[in-house]
Amino acid sequence: MRQRGVLPRAIITSAQAARREATGTLREEVEVDVTREAVLARTMVELADTLVDDFDIVESLTTLADRCVEVFDISAAGIMLVAPEGDLRVMTSSSEAMRVVEVFELQAQEGPCLDCYRSGRPVVNQDLATVNGRWPRFSAVAMQAGFRATDAIPMRLRGQVIGALNLFRSEVGSLTEADVLSAQALADVATIAILQHRSALDVRLVNEQLSQALNSRIVIEQAKGMISEQGQLDLQQAFARLRNHARNHNVRLVELAAAVVGGTLRVDSLDVLQT
Amino acid sequence: MTATDDRLARILRLLSSDDATAGTDRLCAVCAEATNVSGAGIMLMSSDVTQGSVCTTDQVSALIEELQYTLGEGPSVDAYQTHRPVAAPALAASEEVRWPAFTPAVVAAGAGALFGFPLGIGAIRLGALNLYRDRPGPLTPDQHSDALVMANVAARVVIGMQADAPLGTIAVELERGADFQLVVHQAAGMVAVQLDVNVTEALVRLRARAFADERRLADVATAVVERRLRFDDHAGEARS
Repeated sequence: MRQRGVLPRAIITSAQAARREATGTLREEVEVDVTREAVLARTMVELADTLVDDFDIVESLTTLADRCVEVFDISAAGIMLVAPEGDLRVMTSSSEAMRVVEVFELQAQEGPCLDCYRSGRPVVNQDLATVNGRWPRFSAVAMQAGFRATDAIPMRLRGQVIGALNLFRSEVGSLTEADVLSAQALADVATIAILQHRSALDVRLVNEQLSQALNSRIVIEQAKGMISEQGQLDLQQAFARLRNHARNHNVRLVELAAAVVGGTLRVDSLDVLQT
Repeated sequence: MTATDDRLARILRLLSSDDATAGTDRLCAVCAEATNVSGAGIMLMSSDVTQGSVCTTDQVSALIEELQYTLGEGPSVDAYQTHRPVAAPALAASEEVRWPAFTPAVVAAGAGALFGFPLGIGAIRLGALNLYRDRPGPLTPDQHSDALVMANVAARVVIGMQADAPLGTIAVELERGADFQLVVHQAAGMVAVQLDVNVTEALVRLRARAFADERRLADVATAVVERRLRFDDHAGEARS
């Protein structure tokens, strides 16, 4: 339980201060925003809990994506991380539709998440109907999938960008300055969690950590395939079953998945999802 | 594009620059070349037992592997067991006490620094890549990143070779990034259940099928995930 919560608290405070400052000019928003603030604070605390040795990266980032959907009232959220190979990979997406668009973006090598990663700066409030010239192929595919606007927030620590937090909306709207700050605060805490708040930022350790994170994702996908085939479930249901069992039994998602893939835990002994 | 984007491309170029008959020896030579060290070797392990050597570049790396088989200790064994890279940059230093039986022998043979990188794909754990240098000192961040990428590539090459796919074919596929798509891993899980084999074997079968049908691994995997292709169906056609 080393330094548990120390770093995030500082970030929460600074995020709150920044938000207070930003919302000072947007008083009407503050009043309707109480629940949202609560969700945001809860998400921060949840992420802060990840700063322990047995932190469950896939579960944490999945939760973060789900919370972003709630907090910012958007359609989908996802996270991309850079692999040691140097290219971005989809780490998590809150919806299948978004995952497909994100995979396309990486294959086509154009889109807001890539621009955000490459520049290390937020690429927000992108109305896909009007940014056609910028990412013609990405915009077409994203709009086809029902998305109308995107925001991408860099995940960075001391100058190094390790990925992007991506927010997709089905309606054109815009994130306020306060929203962008809140999203950046969430991305920052997630970054620290992924890098396990290394005090000295050694590139080697950062790469190892990212490599480990992306490999965890592969373990989950292997287990999802097995559960899906065994239980005749689709892949999302298979993931839900895995996640449900991990929560019920308080085990790390990736360890549970590894036990399933390794054959030490039979698929049919996983808790059945209550529908 | 940053310099790191070239890492995979450079390694694959090294791998495919050889003739079609190139095998595991070439793989190990590339491991050493890509990471700029004195020598390299790849060990296969399962259930914490060493299974055999895939390749070694020279006598020192052969000894490094042999001793680890015999003694059951060393950087590759640790990398395999912990799933993390293991570094021994100052092998001859008195502080290096991790492998009491192993260390003096490899130092005497001329190794100054040793590095072990786990070889695996998701929950599949194949073994470890070991790199040695005749002088002490840590890997630079660049070398370390190259080694991580090299270990990823080597794991896929080992699987590909078990499926009898030539090195060149595997390198071309990796260049397209096909193997890094999650659909491949979902399909491996599904095929494992269909054939009642482990996921490693399932991945080998998927790879062999793609090679035999001259299709991309990702395409075969997509057909499995979309339930258009089953591996327990002899006709190999959709059943649904």
